[in-house]
Amino acid sequence: MTAPPSPARPARGPWPQLRAVLVLLHVIAVVLGALPAPSGGMSRAAWRDPTVQDEFDAWRGKLAALGWSMSPEAFEEGLWTLGSELMAVRSRALRPFKHYYRYAGTTQSWRMFVAPHRYPARLFIDAREDGVWFNIFEEGAPGPDWRQSQLEQDRFRSALFRYSWPNYSRSYGQFSRWVAKEVAIDYPEADAVRLRWFKYKTLSPEDAGRGLEPEGEFIYIKTLPTVRGEPRASQAAPAPAAAPTPQVQP
Amino acid sequence: MSRGPWARWVGLLSAREAPESLALLRVLLGLCMLHAIGSVAFTGTWALVWVDASDGGYKEMGELPWLVAALGGASRAVIGGLIAAGLTAAISLTVGLFSRLSAFALLQIFMALGDTNPHTGGSYDVLISNALWLLVLADSGATGSVDARIRARWRPSPPPITVPAWPRYLVIGQLLTMYASTGLQKVSASWVPGGDLSALYYILQQPTWQRIDMRWAAPLFPLTQLATLGTWLFEVGAPSLLLVLWMRRTRARPGRLRALSNRLRLRDLFIVVGLAMHAGIAILMEVGPFSFVSMALYAALLHPDEARPLFDRLLRPFGRAPRGKTAQTGQD
Repeated sequence: MTAPPSPARPARGPWPQLRAVLVLLHVIAVVLGALPAPSGGMSRAAWRDPTVQDEFDAWRGKLAALGWSMSPEAFEEGLWTLGSELMAVRSRALRPFKHYYRYAGTTQSWRMFVAPHRYPARLFIDAREDGVWFNIFEEGAPGPDWRQSQLEQDRFRSALFRYSWPNYSRSYGQFSRWVAKEVAIDYPEADAVRLRWFKYKTLSPEDAGRGLEPEGEFIYIKTLPTVRGEPRASQAAPAPAAAPTPQVQP
Repeated sequence: MSRGPWARWVGLLSAREAPESLALLRVLLGLCMLHAIGSVAFTGTWALVWVDASDGGYKEMGELPWLVAALGGASRAVIGGLIAAGLTAAISLTVGLFSRLSAFALLQIFMALGDTNPHTGGSYDVLISNALWLLVLADSGATGSVDARIRARWRPSPPPITVPAWPRYLVIGQLLTMYASTGLQKVSASWVPGGDLSALYYILQQPTWQRIDMRWAAPLFPLTQLATLGTWLFEVGAPSLLLVLWMRRTRARPGRLRALSNRLRLRDLFIVVGLAMHAGIAILMEVGPFSFVSMALYAALLHPDEARPLFDRLLRPFGRAPRGKTAQTGQD
């Protein structure tokens, strides 16, 4: 085990002083960068999501219990103003360290699971052959597994999480076009693809205990013709990911 | 006469110690990097997430990181080359060949890959890049490394090896900063005390991060409430570990709080709770290399005398440990 502490070697020359300054600057950069801020959360479109609205309602209720009542609009506007001002101050404070964050990899971004997403969405991808739609991918489901090793790799899970939010619609569109190209390679007979998100409210422990199924609806439905092109060398003659199971369009 | 705060700060940063803690961190982080890059490479995900739409990826990449831009853009050739170089650097870091240089190369490559498409990353990218930067600053290859073997050939009877301790202190600081920052940002009414403490239960139900359907956790809701409170308290309270470490370092001094803290072995408790939390996340959720990297950083919480047996055990399969004689030091 550890021995009693021994005194540090006496500091001599300019290096110990300089090192102390540099390490202090590092510590300041790290602490300032890590101060809580709503980066990435300042989106009016995202704020309309029921998960966010439920969260606002919960906090408005808590404040009302403390005697500070306000309308949903006033609460949201107050939060927006506070968040915007905080971001402006943060931006100014971090500016001197911008290059240190960028080139030394010392960015501090620790907004992990700040709130549970009570209205998540799962991606479904369908292909159409001879006028019949069949499902080729269902996020998180063991069955249809088209490109599952790619689409459910942890890096792409992050993208899928984002693309079920309205403020990422442009990138979702780009992903949809990629799907249309790749499905044409793996299912040469398919003439169209469809992407859709099943958005639902997660079951409470009581409802899950009663064996209920989550209720929801499909949103952000995109139907595109498959895109024929030159197959890449690495995918010249792929077999279909799985034998398609015909499915009646819901 | 007592020294002023600045002199004490300079003195703290001048401390040296045996190199095993930082060497253990280097090996563990190198293995994490092999997994972090390898899992993207060998599932074919790299071509989807990091290659530009013009060359088979899904996304039209916007502003590119300097390294990718300098190499000519996010083509399959460039991204594939960076992945190969990254895997090579990860192996090199793990075995301790040109340790600082390997850490620096790996850092730049990993940032280049991750920043090419920020939609496909997470906080683990940030944790990894911060840890790699601290390995650039640390002399982590002083023992248990190819570097150490090469040095030993040049100097067959070197004096006992010591390395600067401050990079290890910075790793501890980074770990605690991460916990405190994420804890303070868990502002949902379902996270904070006074709420219904349902956060963890509902997070486990989110399909994006699930390994399996988690509806079976419904009867365990009270346990998840307890875990929610425990997680929040652990994260928000993490900076208090600095005080615990200070009291451990100055254990010879008087004081009831110091004596109690050392008797309760609060640092050991922190390590056990933290590792259990990350193991739980790794088992129940698919969040990439986050849990493994976080656990690797716990090596910095071990004094070199504590890290030494673990490190020796890690090197045992490779025959005679490639390490010089390391010093027995007493600094915590």
